[in-house]
Amino acid sequence: MFSVSPEIYSVLSQASRWIFILLALMLLFLAFSWHHTDRKERRDRFKNLPGAGTVGELVVLSGSDELPVDTWFPVPREGVLGSLRSCDLVIPCPGVSSHHLDFSWQDGTGLLIRPRVGCEVLIDGVPVTRRGMDMPLVHGSVLQIGSAVLRLQLFAALSHTNRTFIPPQPAVGSFSDPMPQPVPIPVQYPQEPVNAQPVFCPPPYQEPVPLQMPVEPPMPVQPVPQPPVPEQLPVQEGSPQAPAAPRRKRADRWKEDWSE
Amino acid sequence: MTKQKSSARFRFSGVMLFLALFFFLVPALQAGDYRLYMLAAGVPCAMLLCCTILARAFSLDRLILALSLFFCSVGIASLAMTAPDTALVQAVSCGIGIIVLIVGAILIRSLSGSLLTAISAAFIGLLLLAGKLIAPTFTLPATQPALALLLIAFAVLLSREGPISASGLGIAAAVLLMLRGETADALIWGLTILLLLFAADGRLLVVLPSLAAFALLFYGMYSMQTQTLVYPEALSADTLKAVGALGADLLPEGLAVPETGSLFSRLLGHYGLVFTGLTVLLYLPLILRGTTVASCARMRFHAILAMGICLLLGLSTLASVLSFFGFLPFTGLEMPLLTTSLPSLCAHLFLTGILCGISGRNDSDLAEDAHLAMLAK
Repeated sequence: MFSVSPEIYSVLSQASRWIFILLALMLLFLAFSWHHTDRKERRDRFKNLPGAGTVGELVVLSGSDELPVDTWFPVPREGVLGSLRSCDLVIPCPGVSSHHLDFSWQDGTGLLIRPRVGCEVLIDGVPVTRRGMDMPLVHGSVLQIGSAVLRLQLFAALSHTNRTFIPPQPAVGSFSDPMPQPVPIPVQYPQEPVNAQPVFCPPPYQEPVPLQMPVEPPMPVQPVPQPPVPEQLPVQEGSPQAPAAPRRKRADRWKEDWSE
Repeated sequence: MTKQKSSARFRFSGVMLFLALFFFLVPALQAGDYRLYMLAAGVPCAMLLCCTILARAFSLDRLILALSLFFCSVGIASLAMTAPDTALVQAVSCGIGIIVLIVGAILIRSLSGSLLTAISAAFIGLLLLAGKLIAPTFTLPATQPALALLLIAFAVLLSREGPISASGLGIAAAVLLMLRGETADALIWGLTILLLLFAADGRLLVVLPSLAAFALLFYGMYSMQTQTLVYPEALSADTLKAVGALGADLLPEGLAVPETGSLFSRLLGHYGLVFTGLTVLLYLPLILRGTTVASCARMRFHAILAMGICLLLGLSTLASVLSFFGFLPFTGLEMPLLTTSLPSLCAHLFLTGILCGISGRNDSDLAEDAHLAMLAK
């Protein structure tokens, strides 16, 4: 095979020592630059999508001094709720242990809640067992842990409000429920006056008339208009013909989607 | 922004391919060996193929993939000057490793963090570690594959069952490693699981006693095995001078460099301290990228696993560099992805494949979020 003379190789090897180092230095710089650019791009994406990675938010209905009412937390797809700062959802309220419960989102079902050992959780007033996957949180569900009462609001595209979910009956006497139960208010319907006009009156029944096809008069024969020849089109000054829109690249469309 | 990203990526890929070509072309011009010409043509082409087609086809993280391929090419290049046949074998090993990388990337997307996954991975991992103790004739170097499987099982247990069961598995693996006499791997594994426990649990009350217990265990086993350990001699000033900052063997006359057989020492001898130092520094963007992938992961299992992989790779790199220069009393430690052992190489590429797969999953999750946001409007 082809080889160079030792003199040429000596020069080449001396040069390549520096070239190798220069290229390695460039690689190192470009690797950091690439990583930095990607991070910046991801950060911009998250700015355009503030709810990315979350399924909804938990709104505080009743909290403590450190957790005022109407505070809301973005809810990630998975995580731990507790009073410790390292938790994904930090609820600094009395009765909330450091790691109170695990939660995870399941498509088509809702937010599954798994309380830790010795931690009590109520969903819509019903206590949840440790392995109780039978009662997920859905849109509008109320979660009660310790003295904190939170309501889940799912994002529109993820909400499962149309799902028919029948919650089990709450266990009587097994768990104290500080949530005020809604008092049923008797509904009084207004008395209708005797001579009042009904809101909707169906028309009286009539015998059906057989349908007949309407006979249309014959259409006069007209010459078919021919499309104008391009040369005969009137050219208006000041309004140049709009050029065809250039085909957008996929990257441009992607960027536009993000900018929306 | 897209232009900047493409620019950085294309520049990196171009420089990497040029360097890979230069690695083999310079010694080929000296020796006129057809095997080196084959490597000079084949390695850059394979890297280009992987960085473009495979990364697009399997939605792999391009930076992690490119850096892994670069380390593979450096490993082949460090063998090419003195042992072209071994370099060819190493190239084939890297090819097998890339297939394993793709398998890891595909597997992690379909792998759920179920208990079955944890039990099966833990069983196989512990069996591989205990194989040498049960049957002394079992000589397959299965430590790194076992650690990769145990890391998956540990991440599943930590994300699902909490720290107690995960700690049990971690301690069992560390004890088995100590009994096998692989103290350095036990130390790296122990530090990895302790840092993961701290990251997942966040309570110093749990982590500090675990750290103390692990330190006591490590000290006890280490003092028992002091006789069997070989303290490496720190590189003398003469040796370092002979190696030089710019390498020795590129010259035709080539200085004699002590080679213990590891790719790191060969690299140091051929290309010098500066180039080797820069190569080691390239592990930093790999680990940084891995931590970014971990922080962006949606599932706890993915986040813990990605962070564990970064810790394992970073601590292994640090330990091998420190032990090479005599700061740690261990011998035979090899850098991740810079190893001649096929099981170790495949295990490390499997772990980087998992990182690539998690990164691809993050991207698809983000695209899905954008789609959902548009639906909501």
